[in-house]
Amino acid sequence: MPGAAGEHPTAGAVITARGLVKRYGSLAALDGLSFTVSAGEIFGILGPNGAGKTTLVEILEGLTPVTGGTASVLGIEVTEQPQAVKARIGVQLQAASYHQYLTLREILDLFGSFYPRRADPVELLRRVHLEDRAESRMRTLSGGMRQRFSIVAALVNQPDLVFFDEPTAGLDPEARLDLWDIVRDVRAQGATVVLTTHYMEEAEALCDRVAFMNQGRMVALDTPQGLIRSLNAPYRLTLTTAHPLDEAEVRGIPGALEISQELTADGFVVRMRARSAPSVATALTTLAQRAGTDVIDLAVEPGTLEDVFLSVTGRRLSG
Amino acid sequence: MTGTLLGASVKMVIRDRQSIFWALAFPMIILGVFRLFSFGGGTTTNIVVAANTQTPAGAALVRALGDVSFLKVRTEPGLTEAQALEELTARRADVALLLVPSANPGQPATAELIDAINDPIGSSVTTAAIRSVVDGTNLALTGVPRAIELTSRTARVRRTTFFQFAGPGIIGMGLMTFATISLAGSLSRYREEGVLRRIRATPLPPWRFFSSVLGAHVLVSLAQVLLLAVVAQLLGAHVFDGGLSFILVAVYGTVIFLNIGVIIAGRVHGRGAVEGAANAVTMPMMFLSGSFFPTTSLPAAVQPLVELLPLTHMLHAMRALALDNESLVQQWPALLVMTAWMAGTLILARFSFAFADA
Repeated sequence: MPGAAGEHPTAGAVITARGLVKRYGSLAALDGLSFTVSAGEIFGILGPNGAGKTTLVEILEGLTPVTGGTASVLGIEVTEQPQAVKARIGVQLQAASYHQYLTLREILDLFGSFYPRRADPVELLRRVHLEDRAESRMRTLSGGMRQRFSIVAALVNQPDLVFFDEPTAGLDPEARLDLWDIVRDVRAQGATVVLTTHYMEEAEALCDRVAFMNQGRMVALDTPQGLIRSLNAPYRLTLTTAHPLDEAEVRGIPGALEISQELTADGFVVRMRARSAPSVATALTTLAQRAGTDVIDLAVEPGTLEDVFLSVTGRRLSG
Repeated sequence: MTGTLLGASVKMVIRDRQSIFWALAFPMIILGVFRLFSFGGGTTTNIVVAANTQTPAGAALVRALGDVSFLKVRTEPGLTEAQALEELTARRADVALLLVPSANPGQPATAELIDAINDPIGSSVTTAAIRSVVDGTNLALTGVPRAIELTSRTARVRRTTFFQFAGPGIIGMGLMTFATISLAGSLSRYREEGVLRRIRATPLPPWRFFSSVLGAHVLVSLAQVLLLAVVAQLLGAHVFDGGLSFILVAVYGTVIFLNIGVIIAGRVHGRGAVEGAANAVTMPMMFLSGSFFPTTSLPAAVQPLVELLPLTHMLHAMRALALDNESLVQQWPALLVMTAWMAGTLILARFSFAFADA
């Protein structure tokens, strides 16, 4: 498995999973997962639909029994004492809703009453800018407001660990950015956050560490930068020149891979992937100068988590 | 916590317009409609008499007819048969009596009675009454002494009117439709909208959530039976005579229908299908158990089925308490059947609705 940070080095473990297996008949939804989540981190679980993200999260939340393996959540064995775990965690579920005939304040009061420790509903609503909607019913809210509410409803018991399952699914970009701030704020208040997503940029922007899941397995786990660095050729270079470059000379540049050249309306375009951006970019511009052609454009893009996913699974996460 | 949970559950029931329709609006509409039906019977019969009141026979006959309590007499001297038929057609009169004086002195006058009362019992009663008036007038005019003098009075005994019979039936029907349709609908909605899943993610034990939803429906049923009883009483059904026992039996029976609601929500998936199934269970029972009409008027072939239904026994006990001055203890056969239903439906409900699948 790529990545060296399977065991987070700093704080104590909030989640320790050992060989988790979940089968539905002959289908293995989870196929032997082991990892730890440390206190205070935002831990992202990425993968395509059907990868097993929701199954994993629901096991950790005490909602789904395991077929094999164990998981300790906040020091409690979730397979043995799911109710004790539920009392201390916060949960935002994918596609779950709240009572449509209750107001936001009434829902928070109701859910707060299920826990020994509870937060003030008005203060919670203020955290997600919904204080004006305290007396509104759920069905009068927009999609973004509902997501914000479902986040804050996960915080009624002032949890030490919060699970967000696809918290920004279906939201417009502005609402998504807004929600990222809320998730960061939850961590800033001292909680550990576990979130699932299939948005790469969301994982990169929010998560301290990211676990990739594919077909019930955890195929990579590290910090976003660590995962990108683990790529064989993380950078994508595009050079546009007025005249074509000698193909053999281009192929001779050390550290350049997956080279292609084509004529476009802008000029002759060379595309390649590179292990190191500075050395390959310098070599390319030197080659152009020697050939006496003008460099019209040189673009260097860093690798993304999408590239990592492609390299570990052989398929794209999105699209 | 229990108070907050129960309070929230009650709010969810009473803010749901569909629940409130089945709980109050529907039975109240039915009460109103049935009250109108029982007014429609009419207690007076309009009679137009073609007679010359200047003659002794004419005057005596009109006076005697006027003494009959349910007859409203109008005299139209010279009214022809054709005109009389027109009066009947135009509903200005229910009965016409045409008195034709004799052409020859010493011959009796003739009287022709034409009635346009559709109901055969009403028609024969009216005809017999008028015949008896004509006979009495004949006797009085001829001065023949009577061999038998008949007197009559109305006994002060209680006879159940149609609306008094229907009142408890409509209340029981309202409780059944509310309990089954509203609870099945709420549970299926909670499941489909993911509310149950969200509740499962909290440390609240599932049985407490279920108890609060059932408890809320029982509380709303109690308010429902009280409100409907007041309305029915004001409209003329004597349900207050059933006292506290009437309320107790009503709420006890409601629990059976709540269990049935849970079974439907558990066995049937999809909101529309759940509502359809709840209606399919309650609608035939409403008629087969005698909510509106006595079950004795149903064909013999369906009587065994009628005797099986829980609503039949619930309504039987409610009517015995409200109409026949019976005590709660005397309802033990009905209560026994209801208890069997309650136990059976409770067990089925327990195994029908899987909270873990939500």
